[in-house]
Amino acid sequence: MRIDRLWLTDFRGYRSAEAGFGPGLTAIVGANGEGKTNLLEAVGYLATLGSFRGAPTEALVRAGADRAVVRGEGVRDGRTLLLEAEIAPGGRSRAQVNRQPLRRARDLLGAVRVTVFSPDDLALVKAGPGERRRYLDDVLVAVHPRNDELRAEVERVLRQRNALLKQAGGRVTAEIEMTLDVWDAKLTTAGEALADARRALVERLAPSLANAYAEVARRGVAVEATYAPPWRAEGLAAALVAARRDELRRGVSLVGPHRDELDLRVEGLPARTHVSQGEQRSLALALRLAAHRVVADVTGSPPVLLLDDVFSELDPDRSDALLAHLPSGQTLLSTAGSLPAGAHPEQVLRVKAGTVIADAG
Amino acid sequence: MGVYAGPVQDLIDELGRLPGVGPKSAQRIAFHLLKVAKEDALRLSHSIAEARDRVAWCQRCFNVSEGDLCGICTDDRRDATVVCVVEEPRDLVAVEKTQEFRGRYHVLQGAISPIEGIGPDQLRVKELLGRLDGEGVTEVILCTNPNIEGEATAMYIGRLVKPLGVRVTRIASGLPVGGDLEYADELTLGRALEGRRDVD
Ligand SMILES: Nc1ncnc2c1ncn2[C@@H]1O[C@H](COP(=O)(O)OP(=O)(O)O)[C@@H](O)[C@H]1O
Ligand SMILES: [Mg+2]
Ligand SMILES: [Zn+2]
Repeated sequence: MRIDRLWLTDFRGYRSAEAGFGPGLTAIVGANGEGKTNLLEAVGYLATLGSFRGAPTEALVRAGADRAVVRGEGVRDGRTLLLEAEIAPGGRSRAQVNRQPLRRARDLLGAVRVTVFSPDDLALVKAGPGERRRYLDDVLVAVHPRNDELRAEVERVLRQRNALLKQAGGRVTAEIEMTLDVWDAKLTTAGEALADARRALVERLAPSLANAYAEVARRGVAVEATYAPPWRAEGLAAALVAARRDELRRGVSLVGPHRDELDLRVEGLPARTHVSQGEQRSLALALRLAAHRVVADVTGSPPVLLLDDVFSELDPDRSDALLAHLPSGQTLLSTAGSLPAGAHPEQVLRVKAGTVIADAG
Repeated sequence: MGVYAGPVQDLIDELGRLPGVGPKSAQRIAFHLLKVAKEDALRLSHSIAEARDRVAWCQRCFNVSEGDLCGICTDDRRDATVVCVVEEPRDLVAVEKTQEFRGRYHVLQGAISPIEGIGPDQLRVKELLGRLDGEGVTEVILCTNPNIEGEATAMYIGRLVKPLGVRVTRIASGLPVGGDLEYADELTLGRALEGRRDVD
């Protein structure tokens, strides 16, 4: 899969812009604040219908405009694809493939896939479990769009269940118990399905992660990734029964896939708290590389790599190691400084004040 | 805080309270109503008043009705032993269009959704239970929307009704997941009715 051309209308700071990408490495250069990340974010939007910075959709629409349009032309399995997404905060987002409107914008998922590396990736290792769950779920959706429905279902059921627990205010009437039983059943079905999917994914990721870590850190150490929900042995249904009093008292869902952890260890030590920042950085890169390889493997085509300003945060050794092990395929790389020595882009784009200009050449 | 003179802002506020009407649409509709011929605008207000005066809820099934009982409840060719439970009157209309169903209905007037503050008490659930004995109901078909709230509502009612010895079925999916019953085409909905199943 690759994206050859991108058109933006009222996306972030871009009023109207167009950019062409090479089939291999394209470098996007420009001073800070000129719109490099915005450009990559637009490509990411076509893949996930969301912002890889976690920004709300309103933030993606140029201040003063009421909708944004991202259009991309690319090639997949030898066929030309024209993708279009319209972002309308508060309204209904719409999408088209080859000028055919999709029934739901979500049906665009799977048309393009991306792997994003960003300076914030360190949070994958250092921040709370939520970051790692999001990482797993994003990879699940990239592997199969159907997982997006599963994730959305779990979130919706949890919202309903939390609202009910809160309204109950600690009271336990027969009606509340019966209604809660229904939401428990829904959470059990959807939650166990999501946890099963995560577990199967982690089993697939783990060997790839160990390899990638060895490449990036240039050293073979034991790296482990495990996903073992604490409720797994008894099953979610039983765990919810056991937690009910507590949940009613606290007014919030305490057990389920929204509380689970992807446990990461280096040489047996918890990566979040016990290893050096350098090792954490290597692990974060390795997580992205491993995900990229698994998605490429399962779907049969490598996602487009988006490297957002990552070299500014890496020491020369890790930069070189990353460049040396970058998977082949299309790569879009942004930088505010000079390009790392090992990077040989076939296309350079200069971004300035909402315009994108290609270097002649 | 409104920016227009009193009556104009009142109209915009009222329109904005309607389902699916945002502030921008409310403004557009309000100015449209001020621009068109006066009798055209008043016809709308008259229709609203008429509908509110003449139409009420059927006292048996909670469908819209001009009398105490709706047209379906007073039609003695309909099979009283089978009751199809829907969320809204518009869903009843959708099921009627399939011409697959000859029983009676029960309109819940919503679905369980704690986020919106709707629990079983806010719905016509007790009224449904009250009908089962008196009308000799032998089967309840749960025809709520195939989304999370509709499924939860179906499960809740199923768990109440089944122990009473009444057969409980749920329309088969095949309906678009996450969709609304009222938008389903007749063929899809008809098939879904044929393929209804027992609730576990
Ligand atoms: N919704 C928006 N409307 C208008 N301008 C925006 C919007 N969102 C971001 N911007 C502009 O984009 C700039 C940041 O662009 P970005 O791509 O993050 O820069 P960089 O080149 O450093 O990666 C901000 O300075 C801001 O001016
Ligand atoms: Mg940036
Ligand atoms: Zn009636």
